[in-house]
Amino acid sequence: MSTQIYPTEPLKLWGKAKELRDQYYLDYRDAHEKGGLRWAGGAWSFDAVPAGLGRDVYSLTSEPYGATLAHNKELSLECLEASENAGYARDLCSYMRLYWGSILINKYPYGGGYPKPDFIWQDHICCSHAKWYQVVSDLEGGLPMWEVDVAAGPYKDVTPAKIKYIVDQLQDGVEWLEKTTGRKFDDGLFIEAVKNEMRSTSLWAAVCAENKAVPAPLDEKTMYSLYVLATLNKASKEVADFYAELLAEVKDRVARGIAAVGNEQIRLMSDTQPPWAFLKVFRYLEQYGAISVGSLYTFGLEGIWEVKEDGTWGPRTTPMEKGIKIKTRQQAMELMVDWNLSKPEWQHFYHPQLKTDMMLRIANEWKLNGIMLHYNRGCEGLSLGIAENRLGLLKAGFPVMTFEGNMGDEREFDENMTLARVDAFMESMGIKKVK
Amino acid sequence: MFTQFKEWYEKRHDYAMEWKEKTGGKIIGYFCTYVPEEILYAADVLPVRVLGGHEPQDVTEPHIFGMYCPFSRDVLAQGLKNKFFYLDGITIAQSCLHIRQAYTSWDLHRPTEFSYYLPMPHNVQSDHSRTFLRSELQQFQEAVEKWTGKKITDVDLDRGIDIVNTNRRLLKQIFELRRQENPPLTGQEAMYLVLSSQMTDKREHNKALLELLEQLPQRKLNRPTGERLMILGSENDDIPFTEMVEQVCEATFVIDDHCTGTRYFWNESVKDEDRLLEIANRYVDRVPCPTKDWPQRKRLEHIQNLIKDYDVQGVIVIQQKFCDPHELDIPAIQKSLKERGIPTLFLEFDVTAPLGPFRIRVEAFLEMMRQEDLF
Amino acid sequence: MITVGIDSGNRNTKAVVLKDGQVVGKALILTGFDANESAGQAYELALKAAQVSPEEVVAVVSTGVGRNEVKFAQEIITEIGSAAKGARYFVPTVNTIIDLGAEEGRAIKLTADGKIADFASNEKCAAGAGSFVESMARALQTAPEEMGPLSMKYTKEVPMNAQCVVFAESEVVSLIHQKTPKEDIARAVHDGVSNRVSSMVRRVGLLDDLALIGGPGRNRGLVQSLKDDLQKEIKVPEDPDYVSALGAALYAMEIA
Repeated sequence: MSTQIYPTEPLKLWGKAKELRDQYYLDYRDAHEKGGLRWAGGAWSFDAVPAGLGRDVYSLTSEPYGATLAHNKELSLECLEASENAGYARDLCSYMRLYWGSILINKYPYGGGYPKPDFIWQDHICCSHAKWYQVVSDLEGGLPMWEVDVAAGPYKDVTPAKIKYIVDQLQDGVEWLEKTTGRKFDDGLFIEAVKNEMRSTSLWAAVCAENKAVPAPLDEKTMYSLYVLATLNKASKEVADFYAELLAEVKDRVARGIAAVGNEQIRLMSDTQPPWAFLKVFRYLEQYGAISVGSLYTFGLEGIWEVKEDGTWGPRTTPMEKGIKIKTRQQAMELMVDWNLSKPEWQHFYHPQLKTDMMLRIANEWKLNGIMLHYNRGCEGLSLGIAENRLGLLKAGFPVMTFEGNMGDEREFDENMTLARVDAFMESMGIKKVK
Repeated sequence: MFTQFKEWYEKRHDYAMEWKEKTGGKIIGYFCTYVPEEILYAADVLPVRVLGGHEPQDVTEPHIFGMYCPFSRDVLAQGLKNKFFYLDGITIAQSCLHIRQAYTSWDLHRPTEFSYYLPMPHNVQSDHSRTFLRSELQQFQEAVEKWTGKKITDVDLDRGIDIVNTNRRLLKQIFELRRQENPPLTGQEAMYLVLSSQMTDKREHNKALLELLEQLPQRKLNRPTGERLMILGSENDDIPFTEMVEQVCEATFVIDDHCTGTRYFWNESVKDEDRLLEIANRYVDRVPCPTKDWPQRKRLEHIQNLIKDYDVQGVIVIQQKFCDPHELDIPAIQKSLKERGIPTLFLEFDVTAPLGPFRIRVEAFLEMMRQEDLF
Repeated sequence: MITVGIDSGNRNTKAVVLKDGQVVGKALILTGFDANESAGQAYELALKAAQVSPEEVVAVVSTGVGRNEVKFAQEIITEIGSAAKGARYFVPTVNTIIDLGAEEGRAIKLTADGKIADFASNEKCAAGAGSFVESMARALQTAPEEMGPLSMKYTKEVPMNAQCVVFAESEVVSLIHQKTPKEDIARAVHDGVSNRVSSMVRRVGLLDDLALIGGPGRNRGLVQSLKDDLQKEIKVPEDPDYVSALGAALYAMEIA
C-alpha cells in the first residue's frame, strides 16, 4: 500500500478565507465606531433584509460564533460553565450555551467584551432558534427582536400560501426594522443582497459538486473553513466573489488531478456538525487513506442545489441566470423565500426519509465507500432523525459508523473511544493503516 | 364517580377496538394536541392521542438517538410493539422536534393507510399565522376527505366544532370547582378526566362529564386539602407520581399547565362564518406550547393568572428529560415565580419517575413551605 | 505453532496461549496503572501455565482498550475484531455477539462468513455492565457473585430506569427502604442492565444465533434477564472472560 498516490498542493485561497472571517468579526465589533449598526441572528437568517438598512450594517451569526468559541478550549469551558451556573440545562444546544456564556462572562474571542447587538433578526425552524434569542434578550435586559417562522413544510410540497406566510412576516419585519433603527429601508440595497445570497449559495454548491472527482480536490476539514463564510455573510458581495474565485481554483485542481489527501483510497462522508475541538479525527482518517469528501451538512447547510437534466445534483440555477429581472421588494422576497425553502438542510425537519434520499444521492454521486454519522448531542436540530438515516443507508448497502459527541461541548466527546470506533470500522471494511 | 374515566384511560385500547366494532368508523392516532380534532370529528373519524406506556423498553434505540426525550421514545415504543395496531391513520401537527421523531419513525415502520404532517405555524404571535394555518387546514381537510371518501360540509364542521368545544367547556367548568377551598376532586382525578378525553369519543365523554358535573358540587373529599399545588411543564400523565404527592405527601394539585391538562382544553373557538378560520384562530390563540411561545413569553402571564385564580401556594415544575423547549422556558418561569414569592420545586421526569427519591424531595419542599407559613 | 493473545481491559488483563489452535494456558490479572506491565505479567503467567517458553511464541496480538500500550505485541486487533473471532471459535454459527466488560458493552453483528456487519457500543450515560452490577451489589450489601443466584429467586418484577449509576443507586436505596425483597431488587438491577444491552443489540439488528462473552457472562441472573428481554436463546462459552484474548491469539495465528 503506497502512502502517496496523488499529487497534493495547499489551497491558494486558504489565507483569504481566514482573512475574510477575521474581518467579519472585527467589522461587527467595531461597527459603532463608524456609526454603523450591529445585529445578531442565526446563520440561516434572511441576512439580505437588514442589508437594506445600509452598507454599514454588520451581523454576528450565532452558530458560527458558537463554533468559534468551541475551538477555544479554555474559553469554551468558561462559557459553558457560566451558562450552567445561570440555570440553563446542560443538554441544550451547545452553540447556544456557548453564546450565552460569552454574554455572561462578557468576553469576545476577538478582544473586548461581548458586543451587544442593536437588534435581533432571527429565523426559526429548530425549536431552539427563536428561543435562543429570548434568553439573549433576558440576559441583556431586553433587546428589540424580530423572528421569522420558516417551518412551513418541505420544499416538495411548497405552495404560494407557504411562501406568502414567510414573505408577509418579512414585509412586517421591514417596517419593524425601519421603526427600530430609525433608518429608511433601501430596496435597491436589499435586491443587491438577495442576488449576492443566491450567487454565494449556488456557487458554494458548485464548489462541493467538484468534489465528485477522484481524487477529491477538497477534504471536509478544509471545507469547514470555506463553507463558514456563507454562514457568516452569505448576502455580501465579498463572499459571493470569494466563492467564484474558489470555484475557479477547485476546478483547476480537478483538471490537474490535485488531491486533498494524497493517499485517498476510501471515500467517506460525515453528518452534522463535527466536534469542533477534535477535528483531528479527520487527520486520523488519513492514516487509513480515508478522506471525508463532505456531507449533507457541509454541502447543504448553506449550499442550494437542484437536480440537473442528467438526474444528478448540481448548484441551483439562480433567477439571474434564468434571465429574471428582480425589480421589487415583494418579488425579491418571494424569490428569496422560495430559494431558501429548497435548502437541503431544511428538509429533514419534516421527515428523515427526505434526508436519507439526499444522503444516498451523495453516497452514489460522490462515489463513497462508507459513512460516519456524528450523533451530535449538541444539536437536536441536525441530529433529528439521524438514527433513521443510519437505517436507511444500511438498507441501501452502505457501511455506516456512528459516534456520539458534541459539536461545542468537548466534555461529551470521548476521543479514545471515537478513534477506537474508527479502527473497528476500518477493520470491518478490511482497511489497514498505511504504515 | 371517576371509575369510568380511569377505566377509559387504563383500557384505552379496549375502548378503541369496541368503538370500532360498534361504529365501523376509522380511528386516527395523533401525536400532538395542536392537531385540529374538529376536522376529524367532522369527518366521523375518531382521534385518539398516542401516549406512552410508562414501562422500560428496548425497542426504540435503533430509531431515536438517546438525547431526545423519554416521552417521544415511549410513544414510539407503543407503535413498534403494535399496541395501537387498530389505527387506520396517524397524524401530527408541528410542535417540538422530539415527538416529531416518534411520528416519522412510526410512519416508516408501522405504516397506516393515512399519514399526515400538518405544518402548524410556530409564529402564533404574528397574525399571518392565522391565514397560513387556515390554508394548511384546508389542505388537511382535503386530504382527510380523500382518505374517507366523504366530503366535509360546513354542517359537518359545525358538528365537529361543537363536539370539541363542548368537551372543552365542560372540562373547564369542572376545573373551576378546584378553585374552592376544599376542591371536590383531586389532581389525580382531574388528570384522568383530561387524559380520557383524549382517548374516547368526545360525545360519550361529554355525557359522562355532564353527569359528573351534576354530582361534583355536593361531593366532599374525606381528606385534608393540604398545600395547594400547581404542576406545570412538559407532557405529563405520570399517575403514580401524582398519587404519591396527594396520598403520601398529603398535598393537592389544584391546577396544572400541561398539554395533557389545561393547555389542551383551556380555550374554545370563537364563532366565525369561515369555519376553517375559526378553527385556525383557536389553535393560534390557545395557551401555547413553549415551541410556539415567542418572541414574547405569553405563558408566564397565563401561569400567574392560574396561580391567582386557584390560590396556588407552591409549584412543581416538571419536564421530560431532554425536553429542550421547556428547558428554555423553565429558568424564566422559576424567576418570575420567585419574584412573586411562590416556592418552586423542579423535577426531571423519565419514563418512570423514581418515586423514592422524588418523595424525599417533595416532602422537603412541602416542609419548607410549611416552615414559611410559621413566619 | 504457538501464539498468544492479550486482552488489556479496563478492569482485567487476560492472556491466552494457543498451541495449534488449542488453548494450552491462560491467565487473568487486575489491570494495574501501567497496562503494558500488567500485560507482561499476564503473558508470563499464561506461558507458565502452558509450560511454554517465550522463545517458542511465534506471534503476540493485543486487543482491548489498552491494546496500543502493549509494547511487545507485534500486531493489534480491535475489541470488535477479537470478540468476533473468539466467539466464532466457540459457536461457529454465531451471528450476534454481546460483549460485556467492566465498563463497556458492545453488540456485534456478523455476516454468515464471520465478517463484521455492524456494531454498537454503549454511550457515556448508559449504565455499563460489570461494574454497574457490582456497585448495585454493594448497595445491597451482597457479594457481586451472589447477585446472579439471588435474582434467579425473584418473585416480582420491579421496573427500574437504570440510566446512570448514581440514580440507579438511589433507586435501589429507596427500594430497600420500601422493604422490597433483595431477590426482586437484584432482578431489577439485571433487568435494568439487560434493557440497555438489548437496546444496543436491537440497534445492530437482532439475529437468531446469539453468544454472550465477557466476564458478566458468568452472572446467570443477568443472562436470564437478557434471554427474557430478547426472547432468544443465548450461548455463553465456558470461560466468557477469555474469549477476546482467545480471538487475539487466533488472529496471531492468521498473521504468523
